[in-house]
Amino acid sequence: MSHVLHDIEKQIIKVLQSDPNLTEEKISQETNLSMDQIRRGVEWLRQKKLADVSESVNTSLSLGKNGLDALKNGLPERRLANLVKDGPKTFDEIRSSLHGFDFNAAIAHAKKNDWINIEKTGTGSKISLKDPDADVPNDSDLIISKLGEKTIVPTEFDNTPLAEPLKSLMERPDFIIAHEEKTKTVSLSETGKKIDLEKLDSGAIDVEADVPHVHAARIHPLKDTINEVRETFAHLGFAEIIGDLSQSSFWNFDALFTPQDHPARELQDTFYLKDLNAKQLATPTQIKNVSNAHKKGWRYYWDIQEAKKMVLRTHTTCVTIKYLADKKPDEARIFSLGRVFRNEKVSYKHLVEFNQVEGIVVGKHITLRDLMGIQKEFYRKIGLTKVKFWPTFFPYTEPSLQSMVYNERLGKWIELFGMGIFRPEVTKPLGITKPVLAWGGGIERIAMLKFGLDDVREFYNNNLSWLRTASKCQ
Amino acid sequence: MPVVELSLSRLQNLVGKKANKKQILDSLPFLGLDIESLDGNIVRVEYSPNRPDYSTDFGIALGLQGILGISKGMLKLDVKKQGNYEIKVDSSTSKVRPFVTGIIARNGSLDNESVKQLINMQEDLHFGLGRKRKKSSIGVHDTDGISFPLKYTTTSRDHRFVPLNSTKESSISEILQDSEVGSDYGSILGQSAKVPIITDANGQTVSFPPIINAALTTVTTKTKNLLVEVTGIDKQSAEDMLSIVVTILQGAGFQFSQLKVSGSKNSTPNFAPRFITFDIDPVNKILGLNISGSTLLSCLKKCRLDAVMKGKKIQCTIPRYRFDIFGGMDIVEEVALGYGIDNLKPAWPASVHIGEKNMTSEKLDSISRLMTGFGFMETLNSTLTSEQILYEMTNRDSSQIISVTSSKSQEHTILRDSILPGLLENLSKNIHETYPQKFFESGIVFSKGAPIKETSSLACVTASEETHFSEMKAVLQSLLRIGFNIKCETKTLPNHVFFSQGRVAEIVVNKKTVGYIGELDSKVLENFRIRTKVVGFEVKLSGLIFD
Repeated sequence: MSHVLHDIEKQIIKVLQSDPNLTEEKISQETNLSMDQIRRGVEWLRQKKLADVSESVNTSLSLGKNGLDALKNGLPERRLANLVKDGPKTFDEIRSSLHGFDFNAAIAHAKKNDWINIEKTGTGSKISLKDPDADVPNDSDLIISKLGEKTIVPTEFDNTPLAEPLKSLMERPDFIIAHEEKTKTVSLSETGKKIDLEKLDSGAIDVEADVPHVHAARIHPLKDTINEVRETFAHLGFAEIIGDLSQSSFWNFDALFTPQDHPARELQDTFYLKDLNAKQLATPTQIKNVSNAHKKGWRYYWDIQEAKKMVLRTHTTCVTIKYLADKKPDEARIFSLGRVFRNEKVSYKHLVEFNQVEGIVVGKHITLRDLMGIQKEFYRKIGLTKVKFWPTFFPYTEPSLQSMVYNERLGKWIELFGMGIFRPEVTKPLGITKPVLAWGGGIERIAMLKFGLDDVREFYNNNLSWLRTASKCQ
Repeated sequence: MPVVELSLSRLQNLVGKKANKKQILDSLPFLGLDIESLDGNIVRVEYSPNRPDYSTDFGIALGLQGILGISKGMLKLDVKKQGNYEIKVDSSTSKVRPFVTGIIARNGSLDNESVKQLINMQEDLHFGLGRKRKKSSIGVHDTDGISFPLKYTTTSRDHRFVPLNSTKESSISEILQDSEVGSDYGSILGQSAKVPIITDANGQTVSFPPIINAALTTVTTKTKNLLVEVTGIDKQSAEDMLSIVVTILQGAGFQFSQLKVSGSKNSTPNFAPRFITFDIDPVNKILGLNISGSTLLSCLKKCRLDAVMKGKKIQCTIPRYRFDIFGGMDIVEEVALGYGIDNLKPAWPASVHIGEKNMTSEKLDSISRLMTGFGFMETLNSTLTSEQILYEMTNRDSSQIISVTSSKSQEHTILRDSILPGLLENLSKNIHETYPQKFFESGIVFSKGAPIKETSSLACVTASEETHFSEMKAVLQSLLRIGFNIKCETKTLPNHVFFSQGRVAEIVVNKKTVGYIGELDSKVLENFRIRTKVVGFEVKLSGLIFD
């Protein structure tokens, strides 16, 4: 088995092959690599079963607060012995030199060492020196001074006369602090030992290793779907036209035979622009003919002021109908794509502003079955293959159909684009004589299927972590 | 779209035992009825507002019988002239609600579910066809307690009677003020001192249209004979509405007697069908079919219409309640439905048309490609935004504000005149994500014109501790040079509310200012709770890279 090793791994193996057990710190020193690099390299080698890591806990000792004080001023019991060297002293006299805790500890330990006597007298207890050699430094002093020089590993005192006094000093508060430190000792496994570094191909790298995620700067996922839809319309022979988002009610509603008292025209469904009226509506003939169509079809007084009110377009049809009314083509395939608006409460399935596409086919010989075929081909091109058609109703087309597309993830049929033939009540007043077939719908719905979203608002949240990671599922 | 709740077993009884429940469920969509939910025996379907006859299971059963081939052709309506039922119209109504029409439905019975269906139908008709009762409204009454002839007249607002669902008398003013229907629909009557009323031969109040019936005529499951009256401001619309109710009641098993209507401008309703004569060829042509005359007749009959060959033409008989049929194209749709949408096979038309994207779209695409190449993430924001983001948090001048009326959402009340504020909002929402963050957006901005002007702009921001003016200027200049061979300069600007003093410039192309570039002002950033440095620019694309 040949091994592909990172340069860090090779250096670690090299030092371990000459010195079989080393701590990570030691390897770091030997290789001149950082501890971070060593830790990573050791982990890689361990995963490849080339190295073994044994973890040990090392304790080291150093002086605590009271220990440092003893180093400077001597142990409390020794200071007590010194105080009574020249004659007995009362508790109070001693207490003024040795405060609080030191006092109690000094008496307790001096007594334990058999250095002092406590005599009860009429004026209180007095302490006198018992052992004249009490000022000779003992093992405890030795330990304090040793620890004052450097930290020590406790095993150093094992089986020496200092072992017992050390234990006793460690029981006293804040004299000696024990530090625990984990050390990783690394050794090579049998396979690791056998690696011949000379023979490894120095140019090879580990191509199977995991790598961190990188984030691409990218086109917005919804825009990506919009672009795909636009491309597909162009592939199907449709030429794009564009128009304003703000439109007169005339082109958004009246020209499409929507009566002026229709619920869709109410403030609660459509956004009207405050105090803005269209200056130029349409040609006088167009206005006259549309007005007559309304009077005849819906039997009411058609008000031009109502038609002048500016709205945010509720569909892209206002753009296509104006194009058809102005150009009157005999044959055409055109489409319009862009934002449309509805005065709705925003929810997981409704937005106030979303994207719509609408394709128009004009032709002497065009049929409803042709329109179904064009639509089926559109879906095939964007990856939606299970399609069926149902009848439906749209105010300005007749007959009208809706297409249903099966979604595997949701396990159900989803309503997508609508289609139909423009009513003669719409086309005739505008001088359009050939049949006009229209199809289209919202693009967010398609994008939701493609990106597996159940909440349409996600597209406009611009949540960076989603933008960085969103991936197509269909 | 309105929704109607149906019991499948009841529907099956109405359709006839020849159809099983699965066939019924499978056929509903092919009548244009979208199944919204199915829960055991209860199915909720959405129907189109142009087919109010589908607002009850009686109407839907009629359609299903046709499409399933159980019962075809037009339902004949027999309105007898027997009995002496009349309503006389007083000319005073012409100023408030000029028209009334109606019918007597006899010898039927209504169970609880049928009453429920009728109430649902009435609500839907009031909302859609009746334009919230303004154009026309229905009253359905039990005839037992009332004597004919009736009178449609007006009365003053202190007139008193016991309204439906009540036991005590109220005045009309009280009803308008205190009841829910009164406050919902009272405005239809405006300020007029006189309001419409229907009384019987003994002067008892029958109805106060379009607000409420009298308690006297309450319809219950014991009711055998009904008076249906429709009042309104448009005669045809009132008769349209009546025709729907008659069709539904016919399905429920009622027989009909004429209600004579007399008085100014009013007349007895006519339920006679209409005739449309048409050629076979254009129908085949538009559908892309080649079906024979006899098949075509059968398709129409499946849609509950009558049709006969008249020489080479077809004469189609349209029942009164199918007022959604305007002309030839509506007949084409009926043929398609009768033929079965499932039987229409998609075709592929040969085309010589060359598809292409609009030049503006192409150029905006290339901007997106270049900007992502420079490492910027594309964001999308609404063009309809809030005053808070656009002006308050950015200290920008709001004198040229363009707003919409009655928005349901506080976050969408005004049209944006700049894209940059939206990008700051995007940064603000992502402060917990890793930096640097780089965003761009291109799109429409609005300004006042004649009456409104729409142009395209591009805005872009970088947020990080290390970013600086020259980094952004480099992006701007490279973008315009590589993408469009445009050379741009940046000219010192003494100050700008949006940017830091001394770190802001105008973007100038051919001596024309096309935008701004700079380091964002710290107070503005604070408003958006952004803690890093931000540099950005916004440049007007219309007039620069396209018209």
